[in-house]
Amino acid sequence: MGMMGAACSDPCASAPTPDTGDTVPTDWTPAALSDDIPVASAAPGQLGPHDLAIWRSASGRIAAWADRCPHRGMRLSHGFVRGERLSCIYHGWGYGEGGQCVRIPAHPELTPPEAIRVPVFSVAEASGVIWVAEEAPDGPPPEFPGVVAFRSLQVSAAPEALAAALGGTGTVIETVLGGAQVVALIQPLRGGAAGLHLLAPEGSDPAALDALSAEVEALRRRVEAAEEMTA
Amino acid sequence: MILYDYILSPSCYRVRLLAALIGRRLDLWAVDVHPGQEHLSEPMLALNPAGTIPVLTDDGLVLTESTAILTYLAAHDAPAWLGEDTAAMRARVAQWLAFAQRLTDSAGAARAHDMLLAPGDIDALRGQATQALRELEAALSAGRRRGESFLAGNRPTIADIACFPHVALAPDGGLPLDPYPSIRLWMRAIRALDGFIEMPGIHRLHELKPEPGPMPEVIRKEQA
Repeated sequence: MGMMGAACSDPCASAPTPDTGDTVPTDWTPAALSDDIPVASAAPGQLGPHDLAIWRSASGRIAAWADRCPHRGMRLSHGFVRGERLSCIYHGWGYGEGGQCVRIPAHPELTPPEAIRVPVFSVAEASGVIWVAEEAPDGPPPEFPGVVAFRSLQVSAAPEALAAALGGTGTVIETVLGGAQVVALIQPLRGGAAGLHLLAPEGSDPAALDALSAEVEALRRRVEAAEEMTA
Repeated sequence: MILYDYILSPSCYRVRLLAALIGRRLDLWAVDVHPGQEHLSEPMLALNPAGTIPVLTDDGLVLTESTAILTYLAAHDAPAWLGEDTAAMRARVAQWLAFAQRLTDSAGAARAHDMLLAPGDIDALRGQATQALRELEAALSAGRRRGESFLAGNRPTIADIACFPHVALAPDGGLPLDPYPSIRLWMRAIRALDGFIEMPGIHRLHELKPEPGPMPEVIRKEQA
């Protein structure tokens, strides 16, 4: 799909770093965890310069669209899901398959013109992670056996600084955090920030996950403090 | 019970929301906070020298702190909203009621700064609010790992109602909620409660109501 034109040249396309053992190159960008966007709900996301509305239909279909209603520009991530449609919170315009507008409540008998269409991004789910891309990448996003989606956090520091603190580079870092074997997925965000999507060992008990949560919060404090020092 | 109320006040909304959720009828007395400054008028100061709202009166009782009002309404009409009657759970609810004051003083003050031109160091306020929102996100995500949707276990309590308004309105103070997935799901759970009411800036879940009218192709088929 990738209706937004040229492939993005900003940090949303991760640089392949084949010489680093713990870093897996991918053309997909991690945007959210699957459990954080349950059926019939929408959430905001980012891909490079683009704001996304990531939403899941009643039947479980995930989609990533431009976060802007073609009508009045309201964020579609503030909208609501009925069945297989995402509707804008402002005037209720409803959008279905492929971002096509299918319903304008103020004109109930009108079939909306094809031109009223929300730009659609590529999206795929793997290992409990929602991945997005502008142009459909060649292969599926990576799978990570033995770990499950744990937490998404935002870090007010450059993605590179966060990656370095985790002992790696790029988008995917397999590392040990607080004694647990984890996968850290790093998403470049605007404003010099980074998203951290963390996958934890499958079958961990709640206490171990609480400890890992505290560990990652501490890591965030360290990275942000260092970033502030250099700023 | 009389609630001295202001429609745009998140702290007043706490009280109206709990009352709606537990089916308690309140006599609302609209206080002209803006532009009338009626909360600082002599009769209101006689009722509450602190000059804040909400104020709840019931017989001889005068309550001027919204979390105390929540406690009173719940104890009076719906004790389950106080949380499970164990030492740990009662303390947990009290902890979140105090936390709600931190939200008022940070996210609420940032919102007042941005929307009502209230004085304040906006960067410091946003920093304190971000810290509070991160704590809330961490606690809610820990709850989700245990199958709990609310702040004090698996049922809503006054802790949730106390914290909800200033969190939901945080974007008004330049604090986007995009980074907090567990907060987003928790707010959905609150907005999905039976009897939920809105305030300006906090809307209901439209998807809980059926589609208003059929789709265009159905209408045209009917007309043909």
